[in-house]
Amino acid sequence: MKKHTITALLLTVVVAAVCVYSGNLFLSLRADDVIIPSKDLTEVRMLSDYLPKLKGTRGDTAIYIFKGEEEGGKALVLGGTHPNEPSSYTSAVILVENAKVTVGTLYVIPQAARSAFTHNDSQEASPLYVHFENSKGEVRKFRYGSRAVNPIDQWPDPDVYEHASSGQLLSGSETRNLNRAYPGREDGNLTEQVAFAITEMIKKENIGLTFDLHEASPEYPVINATVAHEKSMDFAAFGLFELDMYGIDMALEPSPVNLHGLTHRELGDYTDTYPLLMETANASQGRLRGATNEKLALDGKDKFYVSAGELGMLYVPYDENGHPIEERVGRHLQGVLSYTAAYNDFSGTPIVIENVPMYEEMIAAKVGDYLN
Amino acid sequence: MSIELIIFLVMVGTFMAGCFAAKLPVSVSMLLASVAGALVGGHGIPVRHLVEGTFAYIDTILTIATAMVFMKVVEKSGALDALSSLIIEKFHKVPSLLLILVMLVIMFPGMITGSSTASVLSAGSIMAPILLLLGIPKVNVGAIIAMGGILGMIAPPTNVPAMIICGGIDMPYVGFTLPLALLTFPLAILFVLLLGYKYVRKLDYSLIEGQLDKEIRKTYGVKIYLPILTLAALMLADSLIPAFPDVGTPVLFLIAAFVGLFTGKKFKVLETAKDAVQDVLPVMGILMGVGMFIQIMTLTGVRGLIVNASISMPGPLLYAAMGLAIPAFGAISAFGSASVLGVPFTLAMISGNQVLIVAALSLLAGVGDMVPPTALAGIFAAQVVDEPKYTRILKRSIIPIAVQILYALTFIIFSTPIGKFLGI
Repeated sequence: MKKHTITALLLTVVVAAVCVYSGNLFLSLRADDVIIPSKDLTEVRMLSDYLPKLKGTRGDTAIYIFKGEEEGGKALVLGGTHPNEPSSYTSAVILVENAKVTVGTLYVIPQAARSAFTHNDSQEASPLYVHFENSKGEVRKFRYGSRAVNPIDQWPDPDVYEHASSGQLLSGSETRNLNRAYPGREDGNLTEQVAFAITEMIKKENIGLTFDLHEASPEYPVINATVAHEKSMDFAAFGLFELDMYGIDMALEPSPVNLHGLTHRELGDYTDTYPLLMETANASQGRLRGATNEKLALDGKDKFYVSAGELGMLYVPYDENGHPIEERVGRHLQGVLSYTAAYNDFSGTPIVIENVPMYEEMIAAKVGDYLN
Repeated sequence: MSIELIIFLVMVGTFMAGCFAAKLPVSVSMLLASVAGALVGGHGIPVRHLVEGTFAYIDTILTIATAMVFMKVVEKSGALDALSSLIIEKFHKVPSLLLILVMLVIMFPGMITGSSTASVLSAGSIMAPILLLLGIPKVNVGAIIAMGGILGMIAPPTNVPAMIICGGIDMPYVGFTLPLALLTFPLAILFVLLLGYKYVRKLDYSLIEGQLDKEIRKTYGVKIYLPILTLAALMLADSLIPAFPDVGTPVLFLIAAFVGLFTGKKFKVLETAKDAVQDVLPVMGILMGVGMFIQIMTLTGVRGLIVNASISMPGPLLYAAMGLAIPAFGAISAFGSASVLGVPFTLAMISGNQVLIVAALSLLAGVGDMVPPTALAGIFAAQVVDEPKYTRILKRSIIPIAVQILYALTFIIFSTPIGKFLGI
């Protein structure tokens, strides 16, 4: 056998082995994360209940419902719109695993963009999973995911993404970004269908208050902030006072009227809900970050961000202590509680959520302490 | 010396040793550099990261392969010869206008698709014979096509680097048409005249008329142009008609190539397709290698080191850093450069006119498509004009590249007064 034929055969074997190994690894990300709901959970529905064509697709996702004994208002918490913002779905999972609702109804979707949990962004070197140890010493793991829906589920991207209802133009990859797809389209692509189903759910269930939980890179101006539709501003301002009392420095930003496809704009315009979007500081999605790994995603400690902070290039304070996930989750959970309290006074249709760790409790503990 | 700097030096050193000492292909050298970086960074051989990194370019690779198939089809079917003879026959009396027209045609696919590769391999390959017939040296023709492709990618309406930066700072891609037109069209006219006018100024049509293949136009009539017209129509429909299905640019190239099988001279289809893919295989390999390289840079913190070093420059040095770092990072990927450096630079300049700054930064990012090892526009332009050494195209393009960088920096430095003057 000629020398180059042997080389070719050997290389083919190596490539086949790499394909089998990496293919299996990538396929393993399709296994859903385990969520162990609180005993006070009332019902689990699927998003496909609001758009049947989602059934059997990776756009379908679980909706956890907590109904209080007393009638009241209705609130929705969206986690995992962008899975690579881990405090978002971690906060939503803690709600699902701990919450007790006594008045009104709480809906929680921990993994709104479920397809986006099944892959990682190329060239971002993201960790595959984040792990937490619960009080029983068991390790709970959750996928890190991507900002966008998996191209396996929606491909190819157009050169330019045109937002359906506004005509706004964005880069083609934004076609798979759930938070650029609202209010969505029944006959659109998978991302638009997911957005449509969430919008439909809000309309059909008459949900009055909607939270969308996010994270942002420390160099991004809208950070440690709440973005509110103009109709949500009044009660959000009262919520802000309460957050301040808990030692949380939170900015309140109006939703830009010319930026379309986002929850804080479109859900406010197209439904009767009062939308709020919250952002915390996540170094693992920033462009200035150093080595990328699970530790960075969880503790937020990064020497490059410390030096960038010293140069005044960041929009959050940054020191050697980083921004640990307990702080980021605590901000989100306290935000949900405080804004809900303000909404209750404003709307007269209360929602009372109990057994959820407050900011002070969260930063004094570990995320795993609140996982079942 | 920080660990990130050590890893970076090891990666660069391994790459150089692979390319120049061991004479390995660039793609293999990048793979070895990535593995070396990962090993020094304490990650072993991270197969998952090496594979995942390559996927960033899967769409680009499909576009390159199918665009090359299209290019071969228009060449073999005779459409290229027919169009060249037609255009020269009609416009030879006004050579400067002819040059400008040719440049706009080269830019067109990039303006529609946002890809310099699409421009160079489609319109660039179609216009190259015309420029060569006019007597312009092939290195200059290559430089014209490469710069035309880059300016087409940045020109309105579709500018993907600007869209990427906008996406990174939640800014709508609105109000960019005028700034992008001002940034690109004057440069396009300047570059084509700079590189080509002196050769066509005293054009003697009688000398080149004999080289024009007018016969093929008579034999096949208008249908010879159908593959080119089909591609133009599909690109326009894709861009202008919202209901047009999002099948992707590669499919548009394949449809147009398929049409070309029935509109002119007959040729061996499979052999032609195989030749086309073989021609671009090294570039596709480089893109795969680059994908791995950047993923390992991110994994180990080298990317953060480079970004921080670039954007933390004080005062005027910040502009110098923009003018050098953004094109240099484009050596890995122009789109990657827009995302990794374009976004933080925009945020560092937040007090200026954001639309103008983003538009000008995208012009800087575009230069990256001329920077080796990827140098998509330059390498494909060399291939189109049959120039074996891409570096000769790069050398000929140095002045246009310098002008483009300075022009972009002028817009960035004076973004506020220019914005007021333009009313944006």
